[in-house]
Amino acid sequence: MAIKTILIVEDDRFIGEMYVRSLKKAGFDVDWMIDGNDGLIAARNKQYDLLLLDVMLPERRGTEILEALRGSEDLIPHSKVIVLTNFEQDEESRTAMESRADAYLIKADITPNKLLSVIEQLNG
Amino acid sequence: MAVKEQKTKPQLVKDFWPRFKRGAVVLIILLQLLILIAVAALLSSFGFFENEPLAFIGTLVAQSILGVVASLIIYHFVARPVKHLLAALVHVAGEPTSTTPPNPNEAHFEKNGFKPVLQTIYQLASDSPDPIADGAKEAAEKVSSSSTGLSGEVLAQALDTTQSGFVVFNKDRKIIFSNQSTPIKVSTEGVTSLDLIFSETNTLEQWWDECSANAVHAEKTWARIANKLPDEEGRRFFDVMASYNKESETEMVVTLIDRTHLYSVGEAELDFIAFAAHELRGPITVIRGYLDVLQDELSGVIQPDQQELFRRLTVSANKLSGYINNILNTSRFDRRHLKMRPTETTVTEVYDTIKDDMELRASSQNRLLSVSIPDGLPTIAADTASLGEVFSNLIDNAIKYSNEGGAINVSAASKGDMVEISVEDHGIGMPGSVVSNLFQKFYRSHRSRETVAGTGIGLYISKAIVESHGGSISVRSEDGRGSTFIVSLPTYKMVADRLQSSNNDNQALITENSGGWIKNHNMYRG
Repeated sequence: MAIKTILIVEDDRFIGEMYVRSLKKAGFDVDWMIDGNDGLIAARNKQYDLLLLDVMLPERRGTEILEALRGSEDLIPHSKVIVLTNFEQDEESRTAMESRADAYLIKADITPNKLLSVIEQLNG
Repeated sequence: MAVKEQKTKPQLVKDFWPRFKRGAVVLIILLQLLILIAVAALLSSFGFFENEPLAFIGTLVAQSILGVVASLIIYHFVARPVKHLLAALVHVAGEPTSTTPPNPNEAHFEKNGFKPVLQTIYQLASDSPDPIADGAKEAAEKVSSSSTGLSGEVLAQALDTTQSGFVVFNKDRKIIFSNQSTPIKVSTEGVTSLDLIFSETNTLEQWWDECSANAVHAEKTWARIANKLPDEEGRRFFDVMASYNKESETEMVVTLIDRTHLYSVGEAELDFIAFAAHELRGPITVIRGYLDVLQDELSGVIQPDQQELFRRLTVSANKLSGYINNILNTSRFDRRHLKMRPTETTVTEVYDTIKDDMELRASSQNRLLSVSIPDGLPTIAADTASLGEVFSNLIDNAIKYSNEGGAINVSAASKGDMVEISVEDHGIGMPGSVVSNLFQKFYRSHRSRETVAGTGIGLYISKAIVESHGGSISVRSEDGRGSTFIVSLPTYKMVADRLQSSNNDNQALITENSGGWIKNHNMYRG
């Protein structure tokens, strides 16, 4: 199933807007949540094709969101997840997130165009 | 006919000084006699003897005494350094002697500048033990053997009260004694060994092998050796001092000084660097991202020269991002936090992640970058992001150290169990003296210090990353003609085979997690 709907959970407005702008231009349906709580609620309410998840978030960290969504049972079996962070996590949390996500990327290395090619790869 | 037996005694250093001294005194006396005869002859020819016989004899006696005294004083000053030098050499040569070796730390040696001379001799002979420390040791031994009651058991108890580890190995490399503070692991077969994580290329075992081949006595120190991996419970840091004595009952004696307290400060610094990197990466994400967005949205609207300005901005932002990664990785590596997450991939796939960036960098700085990576190379086990940084560092250097219009060739080839990637430039090259220091942290050659910007960590961290992959990095360079850097990486098959065989050894160190990357404490560790 090709990715169409995307949820972005990102608290940095500059970065959030950047992704929203380029993903919308590329033809995706994009929702954007700024804090972790809203992000988790949105992900539960609607089955997005793709989640773009930040780690350092107000209210609820990305680690917890992913744990809640894909911890004991997979609440989002049809969704892909990309963790996007600039933060150097400790080994344990990083490994846990990596095992639950489809990609784990450093934001500073991923420009919008690179992100589009990663999404393309997930589609393929 | 009886043959007179002649004992041929080997010449000793200590025999030289008495001979030299005898010779000098004889020479002084002979010279004085000659002068005496000459003066007497001269004075007689003027008729001094006939006129004043008493004064004549008095003058000659006074002149002789003064002459001998003056000569001996001069001799004493001139020959004294030779005497000290010989005394030091006698000890360095290990000849039996009752004299104490000259101590370079004595005040008069410091004052007359002789100290470095002695230090140099002792240093040059550092393979043989320092005679001063040796003397102290002997004295200590005398004390301990004469003091009664310090049995092995008491000594062991005493060693258990210290925070430092103390281990003794026999010549079969088995632990025959260790105190309580020593981190020890016991294998399932009941074999005990030191539970320390040495860097893969610099282990106690390797040094022991070297010693067995080349040394009778040798000592070595390792700093900041941990007993556990980052994030594991009870991680301690040690400075490790080992002393090797060939074929001795206690062939290897290892002392471990617990430095956990000191080096934990480093852990806090790591946190700081991690947070700082996060802070720096935020703005870089925005700059790189918005440049991407703007360039797309403005294409067709802006002029070619404005387009070039955008490219320069992009190149600069990308470089900045790369440097931050270098700093972060160096900090991680130095604290043994650098972890590779290798997956099965190809050189092409790794290069593709930096391709656009490299082409942009080369073209904006007028270099001709040509990349020929053949299809069908064996797959490698690589951490794509880290290896991408290595390639980007090498290409960045090739750009930096070559001239406008210069060609940079990136190529790859299969070499047995390895895949070799070369980055070749035709730039300024390096003399041999530079090449040998090239991979050291913060190293910048004298010339590049003055002419080319840089921090001196790019090659250092590149080497660390490549070696963490079980590979190696080397350089061929000719001054004025250019350099070629060669990264050699094991094929995925070779790594997988090695992991397989160590799994069979029941070491349980290797797991492949669901993400497909190999977590291997032995091979993939910074």
